[in-house]
Amino acid sequence: MSSSLHSLQGNKACALAAIAAGCRFFAGYPITPSSEIAEQMSRDLPRVDGVFVQMEDEIASLAAVIGASLGGSKAMTATSGPGFSLMQENLGFAAMTEVPCVIINVMRGGPSTGMPTKPAQGDIMQARWGTHGDHPIIVVAPASVQEVYAETIRAFNLSERFRVPVVVLYDQIIAHLIETVELPPKGSIHTVERKWASGTEEGFKPYAETDDLVPVMARPGDGHRLHVTGLTHTEDGFPTQKPDLAAHALNRILDKIERNRAEIDKVEQIETKDAGTVIVAVGIAARAARRAVQMLRSEGIRAGLVRPVTLWPFPDEALRAATANARAVLVPEMNAGQLIHEVQRVVGGSAKVAGLNRVDGEPIPPAAIAQKVRELVADE
Amino acid sequence: MTGMERTEIRLAGSGGQGLILGMQILFRALGLEGKRAAQSQSYEPTSRGGYCYSDLILASDPSDYPLVTGLDMIAALSQVGIDRSLPFIKPGALVIVDERLVETPPTGPFKLHVLPLSQRAAAIGSPRIANIIALGALARLSGVCGKDSLETAVCLETPPKFAELNIAAVRAGFAIERLAPAG
Repeated sequence: MSSSLHSLQGNKACALAAIAAGCRFFAGYPITPSSEIAEQMSRDLPRVDGVFVQMEDEIASLAAVIGASLGGSKAMTATSGPGFSLMQENLGFAAMTEVPCVIINVMRGGPSTGMPTKPAQGDIMQARWGTHGDHPIIVVAPASVQEVYAETIRAFNLSERFRVPVVVLYDQIIAHLIETVELPPKGSIHTVERKWASGTEEGFKPYAETDDLVPVMARPGDGHRLHVTGLTHTEDGFPTQKPDLAAHALNRILDKIERNRAEIDKVEQIETKDAGTVIVAVGIAARAARRAVQMLRSEGIRAGLVRPVTLWPFPDEALRAATANARAVLVPEMNAGQLIHEVQRVVGGSAKVAGLNRVDGEPIPPAAIAQKVRELVADE
Repeated sequence: MTGMERTEIRLAGSGGQGLILGMQILFRALGLEGKRAAQSQSYEPTSRGGYCYSDLILASDPSDYPLVTGLDMIAALSQVGIDRSLPFIKPGALVIVDERLVETPPTGPFKLHVLPLSQRAAAIGSPRIANIIALGALARLSGVCGKDSLETAVCLETPPKFAELNIAAVRAGFAIERLAPAG
């Protein structure tokens, strides 16, 4: 069978992809502009013997997802800013207890309830640092409906592979955009399952260190003794405050991401090889930037685009390489300036870093990005 | 500008006029012709009666910017619909407005067609098919998609019991010579 063309809304593509990735449990609390995901899951999950639960709030939603995942299901929830804020405590719990789960966060205007129907990119930092403490997390940032589909599947795969919460982060425009999408034929989708514990239950240690630093998971009913706590724990799952054990435990969950960056990182680069000005953007801002690059190139201005698809961990190396010969770097984002801090950290003093920000609930048009690049070039 | 094909189309009017559905039908019709597109729409708490629009970007590059930068064609079914879209209309664009619902037709460097879309809809049997007649007229005047594709798409995207009415609407739109107001 070959792939087929469909016109799909971003949120619907997300739900279809989740099920294709093997998701069989959804718990959530509908919130604009993510509600279509819950709506679609409520229809589709029962058809594949899955479970859909509308919870009383977002705290309970992620709690239920974590429980389902520990119970052996691939599980996810979907929300927007206010709900994502409520989920932060349990997100940290999932990171600490190494429970695979996927959280879709469709960004709308904030802070607080902000502008429910308007797009924004104000949760870029929250997605990385919203929960307290040093914690591992992966955040992917699709920029088209096609990519929402692909990245939702990849989010499940990464989550299962590394036993880490993965956030799929996109804005209201991508969520409600309908685009022509090529869906892969059934059976051709690459899915990843967590490593299950095998062998004897005697002396089983649920957080025993492995070569790739990702512990195996006990399958419910197999008889393995399991203890799950958000307290800092040793290999047996029970709390510890011994400095060496505590440091080891935290470093392992951070290192399992850092040491496996080759499997996690994903960056799209357009025309960066000879770029004098590099634009760094995600989501709908990156779609506008891509067009701006084409406009500028046709004028003879050497512009390029770096688009982190895996947004967190941040692609330091790729960005450093792409900006090695750049005199200026522009960061267009629909917030007051978040991504720019990461870019400044990476680029350092090697190029001038400028922002182009918008917080009025409207997208940044390609022409505005192109104009800002022209100004940066003129200033050189 | 970039050497790549790109056409920007808008249906504008007021909430409740079927503008989003209309664009879905056009999207489907273009899909039947093997073309790729991106559709977006106004998404605000006010729907019925308030300013509403739906946009379709037809682009040879599927990763192209999916939102409006300059409209190549627009059909408007209300005054607010055309007035608020005016800043986005490209010179030389195709502009269709309803004769009755747009009391003050816009002026500018574009090809304006004032057509009795809503009257024709009422005459055929339902004021609610003005969106489909507008689509037909838009397709006929621009050549963006064929009549057969639009007729097939309208049947695929709407309930079977309205198929006859909707096909009549497509045909009325395509019969643009008969739609043109006297004089």
